[in-house]
Amino acid sequence: MATTACFIIVSRNDIPIYEAEVGSAVKREDAAHLHQFILHAAQDIVQDLAWTTSAMFLKAIDRFNDLVVSVYIILNPLYLPGSRIASSHFDTKVRALARKYL
Amino acid sequence: MDPARTPLGRMLLDEITPVVMVIRTPLVEEACRKNGLSFVEMLSPFCSFSNIDVPVRTASDQPYRIQKFKLRLFYASDVRQPDLQVANERLKEVITQAGEKDLSNLSSDLPQVDELLSSSESEILPSWFDFFNKQLIRTMSFSDHEAFDHPVACLLVVSSKDEQPINRFVDLYHGDQLPSLLNDGAMDPKILKLHLLVHDNQDGAPEKASKFLNEMRSTFGSNSSQLLCINSSQGGLVEHLQNPWAPFKTDASPTERLGCFLNIDDFNEIKNLMQDLASKHVIPYMEEKVRVLNQQVSATRKGFRNQIKNLWWRKGKEDTPDASNGPVYTYSSIESQIRVLGDYAFMLRDYELALSNYRLISTDYKLDKAWKRYAGVQEMMGLTYFMLDQSRKEAEYCMENAFNTYLKTGPTGHQNATRSGLWWVEMLKTRDQYKEAAGVYFRISGEEPLHSAVMLEQASYCYLLSKPPMLRKFGFHLILSGNQYKKSDQIKHAIRTYRRAISVLKGTTWSYIQDHVHFHIGQWYSFLGLYDSAVSHLMEILSCGHQSKTTQEFFLKTFLQTVQKSGKACEVMRLPLPVINSSSLKVVFEDHRTYASSAAAGVRENIWHSLEEEIVPSLHTARTNWLDEQSNFISKRIKDSNICIVGEAIKVAIEFQNPLQISIPLSDVSLMCELYVRSDDADSEANSSTAELQNDETTKSIADRFMNSDVSSFTLSNVEFTLEGGGRKMVQLTVTPRVEGTLKIVGVKWKLSSSVVGFHNFVTSSVKKIQKGRKKNKPSPADNLKFVVVKPVPRLEGFIQSLPEKVYAGELQQLTLELNNKSDLSVKNLKMNISHPRFLNIGNQRNLNMDYPACFEKKTNGVEQTFPEQTSNVLQNVFLFPEETVVQGDTSFLWPLWLHAAVPGKVSLYIILYYEIENPESFMKYRTLRMLYNLEVLPSLDVSFQISACPSTLEEFLVRMDVANKTSSKNFQIDQLSSIGYQWEISLLQPTDSLYSSPTLMSGQAFSCYLMLKKRKRLDSSEGNGSRSLAVSDIQLSTEGAGGMMYDISLSPVKDFHNVERLQHGDSQEGDSKTVDFVLLSRPLNRETDAGVSDGPSLFSHHECHCSVISTSPISWIVEGPRLIHHDFSTSFCEVTLKMTLYNSADAAASVRINTMDSSQNVGAQSSDASTLASGNQAGWYYVSLDSELKVTSDVSGIRMKPPSSDNVSPFVWTGSSSTKVRLPPLSTLAIPLQISVFSPGTYDLSNYTLQWSVVLSDNQGNYRETRPSSGTCQGYSYYLTVLQST
Repeated sequence: MATTACFIIVSRNDIPIYEAEVGSAVKREDAAHLHQFILHAAQDIVQDLAWTTSAMFLKAIDRFNDLVVSVYIILNPLYLPGSRIASSHFDTKVRALARKYL
Repeated sequence: MDPARTPLGRMLLDEITPVVMVIRTPLVEEACRKNGLSFVEMLSPFCSFSNIDVPVRTASDQPYRIQKFKLRLFYASDVRQPDLQVANERLKEVITQAGEKDLSNLSSDLPQVDELLSSSESEILPSWFDFFNKQLIRTMSFSDHEAFDHPVACLLVVSSKDEQPINRFVDLYHGDQLPSLLNDGAMDPKILKLHLLVHDNQDGAPEKASKFLNEMRSTFGSNSSQLLCINSSQGGLVEHLQNPWAPFKTDASPTERLGCFLNIDDFNEIKNLMQDLASKHVIPYMEEKVRVLNQQVSATRKGFRNQIKNLWWRKGKEDTPDASNGPVYTYSSIESQIRVLGDYAFMLRDYELALSNYRLISTDYKLDKAWKRYAGVQEMMGLTYFMLDQSRKEAEYCMENAFNTYLKTGPTGHQNATRSGLWWVEMLKTRDQYKEAAGVYFRISGEEPLHSAVMLEQASYCYLLSKPPMLRKFGFHLILSGNQYKKSDQIKHAIRTYRRAISVLKGTTWSYIQDHVHFHIGQWYSFLGLYDSAVSHLMEILSCGHQSKTTQEFFLKTFLQTVQKSGKACEVMRLPLPVINSSSLKVVFEDHRTYASSAAAGVRENIWHSLEEEIVPSLHTARTNWLDEQSNFISKRIKDSNICIVGEAIKVAIEFQNPLQISIPLSDVSLMCELYVRSDDADSEANSSTAELQNDETTKSIADRFMNSDVSSFTLSNVEFTLEGGGRKMVQLTVTPRVEGTLKIVGVKWKLSSSVVGFHNFVTSSVKKIQKGRKKNKPSPADNLKFVVVKPVPRLEGFIQSLPEKVYAGELQQLTLELNNKSDLSVKNLKMNISHPRFLNIGNQRNLNMDYPACFEKKTNGVEQTFPEQTSNVLQNVFLFPEETVVQGDTSFLWPLWLHAAVPGKVSLYIILYYEIENPESFMKYRTLRMLYNLEVLPSLDVSFQISACPSTLEEFLVRMDVANKTSSKNFQIDQLSSIGYQWEISLLQPTDSLYSSPTLMSGQAFSCYLMLKKRKRLDSSEGNGSRSLAVSDIQLSTEGAGGMMYDISLSPVKDFHNVERLQHGDSQEGDSKTVDFVLLSRPLNRETDAGVSDGPSLFSHHECHCSVISTSPISWIVEGPRLIHHDFSTSFCEVTLKMTLYNSADAAASVRINTMDSSQNVGAQSSDASTLASGNQAGWYYVSLDSELKVTSDVSGIRMKPPSSDNVSPFVWTGSSSTKVRLPPLSTLAIPLQISVFSPGTYDLSNYTLQWSVVLSDNQGNYRETRPSSGTCQGYSYYLTVLQST
């Protein structure tokens, strides 16, 4: 089955620090911004939900048509606010995992 | 809160009210038309009653009163489901109109989020939303599956002008004018009929009408017959304050003339008529009907028996064929009646009754699978729950159920679903569940673009209004909505929604979102012809490095096209492309400091400063000088400004970056400057210094100014280049002021793709200044870019001719310094300072035309030379040019320089040239020229010397010279070695030709040779002066090539460089007789040189300074005596006399003690401390093996190989005193006699003695103690004596 997925890591103040379009579906031209819009908007939900549960994995908290948003809320004490994840190694790993599971 | 007062409650009280069907004759309509109104329109304002106060009794015995009431009037022809097509057209029209109204806002400033959040709901929501929703709900009216739209009464209207009005009344109700609802049996055709006769007072007195009325009363009954007289005003000039008809006119015709023939009497008559209609006819009729129906329903459906029966009966007809829509229910069916009962009860506000009936019918419809009806009932149940303000959960459940069920029923159901959705939304909003409401809006958005656009926009506002506000969702849904508006060609609405979205998404780092929004809004603006706004939005997406290459190209193309279309191609704007790296900004300007090259300008100021210190007059005096001459005003300004000079360029370097993958062509890149001529300086300062470039307006105006700036006052450089994708480029720009005044560098501008001019202001960004010189506290970056332009001053340009970039170590080259003065004024008092005198030295004017290296040839061959020692250290780096030196005019001034590559490595040569300006009027008294040359010195010959004392002779030393050629390709010929020392002379051990067949050193080769260093024989020892001068001795190492030519190293450049080298290594300034310096002169042989490396005749000199002749101890000695003796041992033992000569090379007196040891003692001493003794020091008699291998093994095993005779007495003993102590004065020799007695023939090693010495130091020689040992013990040398038996 062809899937499409977008993986974004967002730091504080809404700053996306890592983005990856993954999945086996053929990339559509407007997919990138649509995915960004959906994930950006989903943060409103996360913002509310994060304080109501102790779970780190929030499954399917938001959806747009057939796209479902799931969120992990994690905390990295070593993160330098504002910096982007530029490691190509990390990128390769993410994409490899995506190929394996999507 | 009273549900009736909520928006939904009011809406329901408005929309779900009894319908009165109106059937009228054309003449009635005609009479009303005089007022610009139709008949229904004329009555409409009087249909809603805010305080009707009618008692109502429905099913229960307890009556209650109704206050608010409303009737809905429709022509019979309108009592049918509206045409969807027409309805949609109307909605579209409404939206388009609303869009046109908003046009003025489109080009205003962007809305702010804070504003949105602080304003109330009604301010945010566009006013036409309500209207739109209402219209949308109305498109679903008169459906057969619900009863509240079914006419309760029929109003038959006939004009008094009609012929035979009575007959007309009868005709009106019969015929095909009746709506299908009545004809196809969906509702009871026997409805309440009311008869109204309309009389136009303009047609005459109402007598005739009264006559007809009486007739009507007798025919139809007095209750249901009425007369209405209208148009009582003759002139038609009645004006109504707050025209009551205006809200009911839907088309855009002018409203002033409405009701112009209706005076106050008509007004009241209509009002009374309608009140009568409602309170005396419609409400009692409905009450009656409710009661009747309730009885019927109770009889057939209430009670346990009826319910069971009903269930069983319904199960039986499960297999009805038309299962999709359920069975057809006629008005007489019990189901329809229950529904009518419920709806009537609802309209009469008996919600309990309504609810119980809805519940009843709901299960029936469900069982019958009449889904649409079921959904309709569920919808009503939800609303009833809401009006009862009971069980919110139930209400919502019912609404959701209705919504989903409608959706199930197919395309027509979608319309109904939308209606129930809208009601549901209102219900949620009332309960502040905005988030859920937004979800419902999203669900009813549907497929049709315009419809979904409006719904999505409403959804977005719900997110905004939710607590806490969900701004991201708000933005997202606005974007979705805008997209749909665009699809339905409502571009203005699309822009409006996107603009609102920008207010939320502004400043986001989600790049794709940013690009999407700005690109689309830009395109739409451009579509509307609002190119300015379009350009400003498209500009935002130019630096989209994250997009694909094609997208980047597309964005850039769109932008350029839009700019072209806007016809403002030459207008300046803040382009984000390319990116200007503000932190890279470097400004280089020249005041009294001038630079020979840009590299020199990049050097840190304090390096120059330290070099300048010695030659530049102190700051204070310099300032007083010109303070005296200039006015106070100028001085004050100058004190806190940078100075530059008319005609001299200010250089600005700035980095351009291209964030895109495509290359962008840039042309006309130049600075933006302002220059105020001094006279109007004060004014312009006031104008321009404050608050400039605050907003876009001023930016534009300033930008315009720069475009057409007066080019006569300054000259700008122009650069053109192409920035490759992802590339960055440092661009050097200049501005040259032409007149005196104040110059301000404001920014940089460029032309992108030769069509758009962009600019960047430096002022807003920080400026990194490298020219800080004198000022400590800079007020602002803006001041750093402000310059006071002063009168022209001469400026020297200088460079060193043919200074190579790479040289080999040791190379000696002659260079020429060339100075030019373009000005008419002359300069004088030239001084020069060089940072590395080891590498660069100033020559003598005489050198200029000399033949190099021939000029170094020794002319006074054979005569002893002395080396002139550098005496003064003060000012040794500063060179003062001769007094008469004046540089002026076209001729260039030349001066020789010498380059000597002292050590390998990279070196930066800083050269400062100071000069004074002759003109006393001049603003500056002096200027400096700063030059920087970077030199890379490659390794060439590696020369090292090792000096060791000769054991055989006193005051003679063996010098080992190791020379290695470290170059890769160069061959050298070693020419000459010179020693420089106070009393030393170098000489060859053997004649040259026999030693060195080839003095050439190929690359990679090394060679060593031994030389002799001797103490110079003093020819005139009495002369004290001579002993203090450095003497030079040369030896020629090559026989060929040079032809016996020797070089004189005491001539100027070599001498100077050598002195510098001495200083560099020097620990002692005064002459040290223990050290010697060597200078090795060589020449490169092959002419083919590497690129960049100097060629031409050159000489290499390698300097090795302060080579110490003393290795370990200051005491040296030799033992002299016979080596072979014949003696007859049969007579006596043999006595041998030896002489030991001691020499003290130290400056101080030394005491020396000679200890002789006999071998037996020695053995004991060695066995106790064997490890400390060197293997070569075996004392006493032992077998000397010629086989070295044996000796090695003996050392390894640690066993001393001793001949058996060693157990016996020693073969020889020291006679005479076993310990002699002598005192040696400094630098003196002393001979001591020694004696041994030999008992048997053999060969003996007389090394078993030690010398203990200690230097007696005086106080002032304290430093001596630290560097060299003051005492020590020396083992004796081997001295072999052979004694033979004489025969």
